[in-house]
Amino acid sequence: MNCVECKEILVAYLEGLLAESEKQAVADHLKDCHSCQAELKQLTSLQERLVSNGRTVAQSDLENDVMNRIVREQNVRLKTTAKVSKNLQLRRIIMKSPVTKMAAAAVIIIAVLVGMHFVGNPFAATVTFADVIKPILNARTVILDVIIGDEETSPPMHEIVVGSRIRRILSNIPNVIQVIDIDDAKMLALDTEEKTAAYVDIKGPLQEGTRNYIEFLRQVVVKLQDNYEELGEQEIDGQKAIGFVARGPNEEVKIWADHKTALPIRIELRVGQFFSILKNFQFDVPIEDSLISMDMPEGYTLQETKLDLSGSTEQDFIEGLRIWTRVHDGAFPEALSTENNMKQVPLLAEKIAQLNLSDDETTQMMMKYVRGMLFLQILERQSAFQYAGNGVKLGEADKAIFWYQPEGSQTWRIIYGDLRVEDVSPENLPK
Amino acid sequence: MSETDTYYIERCLDGHPDDYRYIVRRYQAVLLAHLAGKLGSKDKAEEAAQESLVRAYFNMNKLKKHGSFYSWLLGIADRVAKEHRRKEQLHRQREVIRSFSAEAASPELSQDYGLEAAIAELPESYRRVVLLRYYGGSSCSQVAEQLDMPLGTVTKTLSRAYAMLRKSLQQPKETEIYEVQT
Repeated sequence: MNCVECKEILVAYLEGLLAESEKQAVADHLKDCHSCQAELKQLTSLQERLVSNGRTVAQSDLENDVMNRIVREQNVRLKTTAKVSKNLQLRRIIMKSPVTKMAAAAVIIIAVLVGMHFVGNPFAATVTFADVIKPILNARTVILDVIIGDEETSPPMHEIVVGSRIRRILSNIPNVIQVIDIDDAKMLALDTEEKTAAYVDIKGPLQEGTRNYIEFLRQVVVKLQDNYEELGEQEIDGQKAIGFVARGPNEEVKIWADHKTALPIRIELRVGQFFSILKNFQFDVPIEDSLISMDMPEGYTLQETKLDLSGSTEQDFIEGLRIWTRVHDGAFPEALSTENNMKQVPLLAEKIAQLNLSDDETTQMMMKYVRGMLFLQILERQSAFQYAGNGVKLGEADKAIFWYQPEGSQTWRIIYGDLRVEDVSPENLPK
Repeated sequence: MSETDTYYIERCLDGHPDDYRYIVRRYQAVLLAHLAGKLGSKDKAEEAAQESLVRAYFNMNKLKKHGSFYSWLLGIADRVAKEHRRKEQLHRQREVIRSFSAEAASPELSQDYGLEAAIAELPESYRRVVLLRYYGGSSCSQVAEQLDMPLGTVTKTLSRAYAMLRKSLQQPKETEIYEVQT
């Protein structure tokens, strides 16, 4: 091999792309040729410089910034027709559905638990309630909107919070009002069109120490006083805002506040894989007692309900998945999260209704699905899990569709396409 | 993460806009390297890279061949960089140039400014290979697959690109800075 030939394939040599014989030939030539050795040295150093620069550059993370910019830009663009028609469409489906009431109940139950699993302290360190809490967070009443997941597609929930009482309306089911008493673990659901009322016992899903968003927020702000990072100024919903971020081991909270009054404008809360946005705050607006009363209003009929919401288990979750596949030609959901469930439950109810089962069977099936998904809601906050069922059909025993690590467990549970479950150690998890 | 651009683009167009984040993850470093050399600082490159990615997202339906997303994105980035530079030239041209030189000399502002500027000067067909290989974290065979060219062409292109980079890196630093200003 001569120098010209060698230099020709030196890059391929460096990249490890040569066949064994060629590699040997280059190595042999290099042994005796100082010029090619120098060339290789130069190439190597240039390559190292590129690799190291590549590594430095790769540390920048634009992902969240870009995605946020897209969402903002899209919001501006969508202030026109598209959004309106989408909401109308969803509304129409819900209102026309023969199972409206049942679907509504299902969504309520999913939604009622949203934001109620903030057990314990938001940060690992022990923080006592500070003597001084920022004046705004002493608010006796708070009105706000809560959005679970994607701001663009998820229907907001309108909430009024007074102490341990919450009045909540889901914007995609506007005829149903829920009043929740956290202390008493009870919910009153009012259907304003049918003039019916139902009490739901939510003791099962609520846990010791459950608190509402605002309560949780207070603790975070206490923590923020000592240890926060500034995000600088930005325009949020048309207002000039200052941002702060606080991070815990499993949670992240971003607060955007008015740059003059310091009142929060927008709060983004991530707990585990669960993401929510709180906005349109109003503090200390006088709230009439009747709005948050647990008494049934006059003119309403009380419905007997058989909603069993005592603790949801893995078995319930599997049953929920089975129900989903039954009305989707055996296919598992594309994605699995509370956010998706809130959007899809009305459509699922429609599909279940088309099975033409008896009323009782239909309701039971819906409730089973909802109970199963409660299991997911709890997982979303507490444990590591992964869903991989997109494109998998019921019965595909070799495909893992879901795996999670139960709290405090060393091993993971894997659910396969045939809905059997196995325990595996972390190193044997699917990729 | 291992799906093709075409797959993610079709997912986005199909009503799963969140899948765009995989595209961002794949090309953010490539774009930053591409733009840092053109704009002269990390901050400016980040701003322009974000803008390019957002612009690409909203124009995705105009992209005819979904497989050629990468070249198309680089084209958008070129236009964004050009606009940014023009804007800067209009506003306080002198100060900008001075701060440019200062930034270029200070290693914590630009990662390896000389190298990035040299890459920015490479002809398009060489630059896209270098960017993918070192900033897109691809092996030579992945580059070959992505750009739909034989493996031999990739190594030959790299070989030529190295020669050009070395030559341009040997030039005195003033010249590089000068070229970026214009």
